[in-house]
Amino acid sequence: MNAGRLRLAWRFALRELRGGLKGFRIFLACLALGVGVIAAIGSIRASIETGLSREGATILGGDAELNFTYRFANENERAWLDRNALRYSEIAEFRSMATVGEERGLTQVKAVDGLYPLKGAMDLAPKMPLETALAGAEGLPGGVMDRVLADRLGLQPGDSFRLGTQDFRLMAVIALEPDAAASGFELGPRTMVRTGDLAASGLLAPGTLFDTKYRMELPAGSDLNTLQAEAEGLFETTGMRWRDARNGAPGIASFVERLGGFLVLVGLSGLAVGGVGVSAAVRAYLATKTATIATLRTLGAERQTIFLTYFLQIGALTLIGVGIGLVLGGLGPMLLGPLIAAQLPFPAVFSIYPSALAEAALYGVLTAFIFALWPLARAERIRAASLFRDAFTSRTRLPAPRYLLATALALAALVGLAAWFSGSAQLTLWTAGGLMGALMVLLVSALGIGFLARRSTAASRGRPALRWALSSIGSARDGAVPAVLALGLGLTVLAAIGQIDGNMRRAIAGNLPDVAPSYFFVDIQRSQMPGFLERVGNDPAVNRVENAPMLRGVLTRINGQSAAEVAGDHWVVRGDRGITYAAARPEATEVTAGTWWPANYTGDPQISFAAEEAEELGLSLGDTLTLNILGRDITGTITSFRNVDFSTAGMGFVMVLNEAALAGAPHSFIATVYADEQAEAAILRDLAREMPNITAIRMRDAIDRVSDILRQLAAATAYGAAATLLTGFLVLLGTAAAGEPARRYEAALLKTLGAPRRQILLSFALRSALLGAAAGLVALAAGIAGAWAINAYVFETGYAVIWPNALMVVSGGILTTLLAGLVFAMRPLAAKPARILRARE
Amino acid sequence: MTDNNNPALHLLDASLTLNSNTGPVEILHGISLDVRQGETLGLVGPSGSGKSSLLMLMGGLEQATGGTITALGQDLTVMDEDALARFRRNNMGVVFQSFHLIPTMTALENVATPLELAGAKDAFERAQAELQAVGLGHRAGHFPAQMSGGEQQRVALARALAPRPAILLADEPTGNLDEANGAAVMDLLFGLRDRSGATLVMVTHAPELAARCDRVIRLRDGRIDEEAAREAAE
Repeated sequence: MNAGRLRLAWRFALRELRGGLKGFRIFLACLALGVGVIAAIGSIRASIETGLSREGATILGGDAELNFTYRFANENERAWLDRNALRYSEIAEFRSMATVGEERGLTQVKAVDGLYPLKGAMDLAPKMPLETALAGAEGLPGGVMDRVLADRLGLQPGDSFRLGTQDFRLMAVIALEPDAAASGFELGPRTMVRTGDLAASGLLAPGTLFDTKYRMELPAGSDLNTLQAEAEGLFETTGMRWRDARNGAPGIASFVERLGGFLVLVGLSGLAVGGVGVSAAVRAYLATKTATIATLRTLGAERQTIFLTYFLQIGALTLIGVGIGLVLGGLGPMLLGPLIAAQLPFPAVFSIYPSALAEAALYGVLTAFIFALWPLARAERIRAASLFRDAFTSRTRLPAPRYLLATALALAALVGLAAWFSGSAQLTLWTAGGLMGALMVLLVSALGIGFLARRSTAASRGRPALRWALSSIGSARDGAVPAVLALGLGLTVLAAIGQIDGNMRRAIAGNLPDVAPSYFFVDIQRSQMPGFLERVGNDPAVNRVENAPMLRGVLTRINGQSAAEVAGDHWVVRGDRGITYAAARPEATEVTAGTWWPANYTGDPQISFAAEEAEELGLSLGDTLTLNILGRDITGTITSFRNVDFSTAGMGFVMVLNEAALAGAPHSFIATVYADEQAEAAILRDLAREMPNITAIRMRDAIDRVSDILRQLAAATAYGAAATLLTGFLVLLGTAAAGEPARRYEAALLKTLGAPRRQILLSFALRSALLGAAAGLVALAAGIAGAWAINAYVFETGYAVIWPNALMVVSGGILTTLLAGLVFAMRPLAAKPARILRARE
Repeated sequence: MTDNNNPALHLLDASLTLNSNTGPVEILHGISLDVRQGETLGLVGPSGSGKSSLLMLMGGLEQATGGTITALGQDLTVMDEDALARFRRNNMGVVFQSFHLIPTMTALENVATPLELAGAKDAFERAQAELQAVGLGHRAGHFPAQMSGGEQQRVALARALAPRPAILLADEPTGNLDEANGAAVMDLLFGLRDRSGATLVMVTHAPELAARCDRVIRLRDGRIDEEAAREAAE
């Protein structure tokens, strides 16, 4: 390409653009909306990430933290803390039951010392210092709790409640806990007391499940990397875990990153729908330029000059559309910042984030390129002869190989960028494959619908409005393709999300309560087990009881190597896991490989590992694992694999050791009780009265929490899909607007032949409704197929069609197409036939 | 390139068949014809006889499906679309019945376009001079939609003649004009052609316009009407 030709094409392009943006409103709207949504998602994600990083110390509650499971720090660890921190605060966290008379509520207890909080400030209602609140009143130590728990227990400040065997005075409810986000997902609302006041509660006995956190305030200029390396080097074998202000809430940070990445992919599907609009707009624009292009060809313009002239025009318009999208997507979150921040339980810094905008801009430019290139490539094939003979012009040939190659490269760049930005190549490839598959299915279906419409016209004789509608759908000029493509993709995404969400929630909230236990009881002391089993075992409403000794430990080494190096980020090596022991193989246990240790085995520790997780970690029989339990390393050999079903929410341990390996360590027991729903309250009441230290987790409450989170995730995804649908509606409006001259001519002819306006309107409405129904049905089929595949292969759950959602998708398709069609039907209906027909001559 | 002994246009057994949805349609059959350099030739015949198609074959705007077409010694039938475009911009001017001015360009820009495509540095100065020559120097900044049909056709004439083509092809140049405007445009066309000495091939329905040409060929059903030709010769 020479510079002279480029300059000439640019001059021609500028002359053409002087006509204004009239034909490009839908083009610009599609691009601006698609880019705007992605830019907004990226900006909000960046705002939260910046907030988390900037407020890391406040979120964490200190500059750095040492975390232990089951125990307080030992002398060595405290000495290290004394040496390196200006001061440190000790926190113990565990689940327990807060009781008031017969009322009980699961709570996440945070036992703190006088230095808490090291960073940030507690906000209590009524206003008072935390120190005053925890000091208590009227002879009882004080406590504060979340309002939701106080309300559930019917407590007002001044009332008393009990934890274990210790009574507390509720002094205030928590309005703001500065380090709440650092705790991540918790099943129970917060209760906060002084650690010292728990001495008589029996809740921090050896073997009970609790975590301790040592939050440090470090001297200015401390090097976190060095300190982390030193602490990990010294305490690697004691089960210590490190966290610091650089990533105060890693759970939230990674959740926001993943959700943001996923939502950007949903946004990309919106951009793909916008791409259909871009393609249609470019096609329609070039159709109006056929005479100009043919004239330029007559005057001696070469193909490349023609291509460049229109490529540069579309490129300039793309930049305008992308620019509008960036302004909307960049400024929107900033303007709505206060509203969004009020909904977030963690800090966010709303600002302009160039990287988020650059990501959205790249997607916009590449999408416009991919969807505009083919129509542009066909423009250069317009021959001079088109000036006097367009009936013989070929419309269906593929563009030249160089354009096919350029399209493929741009597509690869787009998918590669999306994979890079979203951080999940697999999810991106699934999304890209799904989108391309859906577009292909929609295209083929649309052609099939056109064919069926043509075949059905004979059957509609005697019903002229229906016959006109079917003829129009079956015609080569209007056809079903634009409408089905425009609306189909948005509806497909919406249908798939609805089906996946519905099935997930049905699996968790619908089916799970039938197979899950009623209660998990934790922290049952060995001495309490006989009484516990007697109470639940003799209750006729109890169908089944399972129990096991329970310890928590960290899998630190695999065959002597660091577990994190061998297994990466697998959930089994992330944090501490529940571990149990057994003398003999439990009856229900199915060993898939190896052999269980003999009864009363007392040799070197042996481990039975969950088969599926072992395969994911690449473990074999004979491998050695080092577990850090209560600060002590235990190394055992894997001697068997067994099936563990985690999907029923029942008791499931990844690792079981022989009894002699663990029985000497302090531990408690865990039990699951399967009971009739009506008997659940009485069981809890009796057990809580007799064994106040044990904690009951009601599965129905836990399922509700998980369902709530899923509902919020589905809502966030549905907003993204709604943007896709809105883009689809815009594309549909564009298609309807482009078809308006044809409708006007059609109406004029029909009026001339004696058709009343009512009948013509009915024909237009039927056409829109049939197209909408067809688009809805095809989208539903594609959405159901996609949802089934994701449920079957990703979530590995059963699948059933969620009919209310399915009906909404089809009726949404009909309504949307009707609306878009009728908006552009009014002018054709009102036009005077003589004027239209004369202008056509 | 130009050799006065060679014909400006040489057609040998040229034919044109186009494919439509209903099958192939034969438009022109075995046309053989020479047009001398500097000659003015009128193509007449009833509607659908193939006059415009023949003109388009001569301009390389349509590819012949049989025979050969040579213009200024160059075989148009072996050239691809881009080579034909380059040949036209260096050697031919075309005037259409519907003017085919580019609606987004001013009169001046329309006339300058073929000169710009040919890489002329002084495209706009020459275009302005051409517009003066057709009496529209004062309308240079106007867009086609702001001009009458007669004015538009005069701009189209200026555009066709601006690169000084050796061959000028005109397809019913007065077909969309009233009588007075049509006569003015024809006077202009022949006047400018006389000055440039270009070969002119013109399709027309009007006998009085055909009569202004050196030679007239009548077409019927895609063939040269030999009888009419004989009568004309007698």
